[in-house]
Amino acid sequence: MICTGCSCLCDDIEFENGKILNACEKGFRHISGYKERRAKNIVNGKEVDVDTAIDKALEILKSTKKAVIYGLDTSTVEAQRIAIKISEKLNCYIDDNSSFCLGEFVEAILKKEVPTSTLEEVRDKAYVILYWGTNPYHSLPRHMSKFTYYPRGSKRNRGYDEDRFLVVIDVRKSEVAKLAKKNARFIKVENDIELIESFLKAIEGKASKYDVAGILREMKRADFNVIFGGLGLKYGLKGNYSYLYNLIKKINEFTPLFFIPAGFHSNMRGFNETLFEEVRAINKFSFLEKKSSPSFAFSELVKNENVDVAMIVGTDPLSSLPYEVSRKLLDMKKIVIDPRETITAKIAEVSICSAFSGIETEGEMVRSDGIRVKLSPIDKSEIDDVYIFKKILEGL
Amino acid sequence: MPLTPMEIYKLLPKTNCKRCGEQTCMSFAFKLLNRDKKIDDCKPLFEEKKYEVQLKKLQELLKPLEKATETGLIVNSERCNGCGNCVVVCPVHVERDPRGAGIGKGPLIRDPIYRIENGKLVVLNVHACRRYGKNRILCIVCRENCPTDAISFLEG
Ligand code: SF4
Ligand code: SF4
Ligand code: SF4
Ligand code: SF4
Repeated sequence: MICTGCSCLCDDIEFENGKILNACEKGFRHISGYKERRAKNIVNGKEVDVDTAIDKALEILKSTKKAVIYGLDTSTVEAQRIAIKISEKLNCYIDDNSSFCLGEFVEAILKKEVPTSTLEEVRDKAYVILYWGTNPYHSLPRHMSKFTYYPRGSKRNRGYDEDRFLVVIDVRKSEVAKLAKKNARFIKVENDIELIESFLKAIEGKASKYDVAGILREMKRADFNVIFGGLGLKYGLKGNYSYLYNLIKKINEFTPLFFIPAGFHSNMRGFNETLFEEVRAINKFSFLEKKSSPSFAFSELVKNENVDVAMIVGTDPLSSLPYEVSRKLLDMKKIVIDPRETITAKIAEVSICSAFSGIETEGEMVRSDGIRVKLSPIDKSEIDDVYIFKKILEGL
Repeated sequence: MPLTPMEIYKLLPKTNCKRCGEQTCMSFAFKLLNRDKKIDDCKPLFEEKKYEVQLKKLQELLKPLEKATETGLIVNSERCNGCGNCVVVCPVHVERDPRGAGIGKGPLIRDPIYRIENGKLVVLNVHACRRYGKNRILCIVCRENCPTDAISFLEG
């Protein structure tokens, strides 16, 4: 089975005598707990059947010219496609979590502004493996053991202590930073921009604030090196993405270096890629204005009261967004589609119980490195995102 | 805190009477830690009343030995998140399971030392561990690569 607990989409999950094998704890909870705390089909506080809830959702969507569809990062690519069609038909906004997660990194990759690779290539070939602003121990628990530092690769078969060089850059000594022992470096970073400047200086042989010349020397020894960029790096760049891409370009003048985002929602990259195929933008898109803009991010739309209806799929903004934004959610109509009961659903006009992608529904997701993975559910639910979205699309 | 022979030694009679079959109390302490001897083998500890308090303390000290596997391995499940580092990095797995654990996947062999069950590390076949048996090697590779110190060995 494929685990959809995070964007590693591990493909080796087995079952034996009622036990789930090989999944990490996060994956185990995800797979074993899918029957618990399920959402209910509710319209204005009353439990109804699913089709009544969908009809009510349709009525709300038809009644507005200012809707936003938001979330979709745990939906399959097939469901995402239909959701995009719905927003096209409604001429409305569409956005996902990537607008405050790693959307920009994925966009740069899709626009070919930065060289990238796959996790299998990393496993087989990578020498310097650099985690920058991410702690996969929590967000992508098996990333290091399944794909990067620990597995033996076809061209790297002597084990991590001889055939890999680990670099961890973070603001604190995270779990993963603790693993940077022999043949490894941990850099406690205060300022990511200054760190990039240090790399640039070291390339020219000049002294710099952070001592990174050794890392560059290691990179030169190999024909494959990789950076995994996380949220810490994104926020550290403060919008200056070109600094990072320029550094990667400079390093590529003397040794191959690839960049792969370390995003965690199981199919966030799928949303970015699916929307990109349709409209050449990866998130915060307005079908009315036919463009993407920072002001079309879900939190901005809500904060500035630019929408009065939100269809929220597989995410819980009331519990994740800051209060100044989330309190404005109270004043708008909400349709929540989720397999699990959420806090947002409790204040929504309509709540629809969907299915867990990959556990109860088949379809496709896109791993953090862009590899497409066919899901292999262990259960079946007739009512899933695709069913719900199709009915909505037909009804419009 | 790993247990040391010195801590055990301090609580033995320290008379080197040899009744346990060892030349010295110190070597008996080593054997206790390796589980080659049992505490009952030191007769004086039980026969002489003056050792009563020491004996109690020693029994308390050796309690973790019961929880530990035959290689002195203790897994603290609460700290384990099933990341699989230990499973993948184990040199025995690399050698015997090159297409499974060796390349990062769940073990494909029937009797791996470790595997992840229900999100936690489980010890399945301690006999295959390099720390096991007479010609043991004091391997610490799995412990070294656990990010949360969920793995420990009695001998440190
Ligand atoms: S790493 Fe992610 S995909 Fe793999 S088992 Fe854990 S939660 Fe599931
Ligand atoms: S029997 Fe007890 S006192 Fe005598 S040598 Fe052995 S350990 Fe020491
Ligand atoms: S001690 Fe060494 S051989 Fe034994 S399980 Fe750990 S890594 Fe494997
Ligand atoms: S390395 Fe540690 S946390 Fe990871 S599976 Fe092994 S014991 Fe658990």
